[in-house]
Amino acid sequence: MAAPKLPPLPAEKGVWDEHVIDRRRFLEAALGVLAGIGGLLVAVPGARFLIGNSLEPSATKWVELGKIADLPVAAVTQVSYSTRATDAWREVNQRGTVYVSSADGGATFTVLDGTCTHLGCIVQWNEGDSRFVCPCHSGHFTREGEVIDGPPPHRLRQLAVKVQDGALFAEI
Amino acid sequence: MNRIFQWFDERTGLSGPVRDFLNYPVPKYVHRNFLYTLGGLTLISFLIQVVTGILMAFYYDPSTEGAYNSVDYISYQLPLGWLIRGVHHYASSAMVILVSLHMLRTYYFSAYKKPRELNWLTGVLLFFLVLSFGFTGYLLPWDQKGYWATKVGTEIAGSVPLIGSFLMHLMRGGDMLGQATLTRFYAGHILLLPASVAVLIVAHIFQMRFHGMAPAITKKAQAQSKIFVPFFPDWAITDTLCGLGLLALLVYMTWANHAPLEFPADPTSNNYVPRPEWYFLFYFQLLKYFPGALEPVATILIPLFIFGSMVLLPFVDLSEERRPWRKPVTTLVSIFYIIVIVVFTILAMAAYA
Repeated sequence: MAAPKLPPLPAEKGVWDEHVIDRRRFLEAALGVLAGIGGLLVAVPGARFLIGNSLEPSATKWVELGKIADLPVAAVTQVSYSTRATDAWREVNQRGTVYVSSADGGATFTVLDGTCTHLGCIVQWNEGDSRFVCPCHSGHFTREGEVIDGPPPHRLRQLAVKVQDGALFAEI
Repeated sequence: MNRIFQWFDERTGLSGPVRDFLNYPVPKYVHRNFLYTLGGLTLISFLIQVVTGILMAFYYDPSTEGAYNSVDYISYQLPLGWLIRGVHHYASSAMVILVSLHMLRTYYFSAYKKPRELNWLTGVLLFFLVLSFGFTGYLLPWDQKGYWATKVGTEIAGSVPLIGSFLMHLMRGGDMLGQATLTRFYAGHILLLPASVAVLIVAHIFQMRFHGMAPAITKKAQAQSKIFVPFFPDWAITDTLCGLGLLALLVYMTWANHAPLEFPADPTSNNYVPRPEWYFLFYFQLLKYFPGALEPVATILIPLFIFGSMVLLPFVDLSEERRPWRKPVTTLVSIFYIIVIVVFTILAMAAYA
């Protein structure tokens, strides 16, 4: 780094501080600051743009699963639903699988989201063993959705339900 | 001809750098060993992907409603569509195999040692980018395989402690797999990843040229280390021949077995068992051994450990020794990993057979 070109001070007075900034050093620092500002001006809005709306939870809605009279009260019933939903900029049929059961002969219903809490595969109801089994990594759940065996970290998600006009609805 | 050449050279000044590039001296021991073609072959497989990928982009529809049909159209109705998509499909596997073998060659020849640490690091990054290509690529047909493998893959990211949920949402572009996910994976697959890989390949080759080939490890090769052949045409023709062989193999594989396309993605199916591509199978198998709260060990700790040890390798192994048979620790560690990967892959294949 070139030393700043300043006339020497009288010897009895002292010397210039060796860190006195010269033009080149100032320009280098200024360039660094400007480049940094430019980089941030691109990176920050760019990152916000990329994150977009991805962190917003999707809106829940009540989906009809069927007429109460048609649902078997003793068994666990697999229900595949389809509902109109907004997927980013597209209107789509959002589809999914839930399991409906009743422990009190049809007075109240339990609706479990069929999505395995391990890595998201859809579990199957095994009537013989009376348990849900995930085909991916052999996670096992009770009829109520509690983990019995395998890698799932927690129970199956239980959905809020309501009965309206003789039909069962779940909040999806 | 000469005058045209001169006209261009006066205006571009390219003849000097091009001549230097073509006349680059390649040690004879390298020219005689086919293991040194693995890097060039990886590059050729990347170029095959670029060409076949650009061709498919002329027809592919990156929407959840149109993606499957467009891939079906490419595969079964377009003239030579089966060939272009098939070669792209098999070349992705070839790229994973070639980049892995190239890395193993580098590893066993201790070519990561000083002063080539940065070359090893760009190579490690390229390796993971190749895997990212695979991961983002197989969602694009929006078939059962792509949909469920991506669902599982993004859930794996979701199990990372603290930032998992953020990562998963960022990858999916929302709560669920859908249009935003497909567009993200598409943009990553055809723009971000190729651009990143291209920049890193240039850096990788530039560093390799700057340092030259790592010293030979056998006495026979060392005896030839002061004899050179020019990159062009001697070495270039070796690469070209190997590249043509690779292309012929890919075309044959495509002809014998067209690239698979499963049923369209169905989020309600409860009997579909997601299977990732074969090169991720060992990892899928590993996940089975870490239940419940231990899950992050398999989903984040082990991958981070492997990535970290690859990054740190040239800074930890500082010995002068380059012969693998005199370096039992690094050699045995690599053999252990290879055995684990092979055994887990076989176990996973058996489980899904």
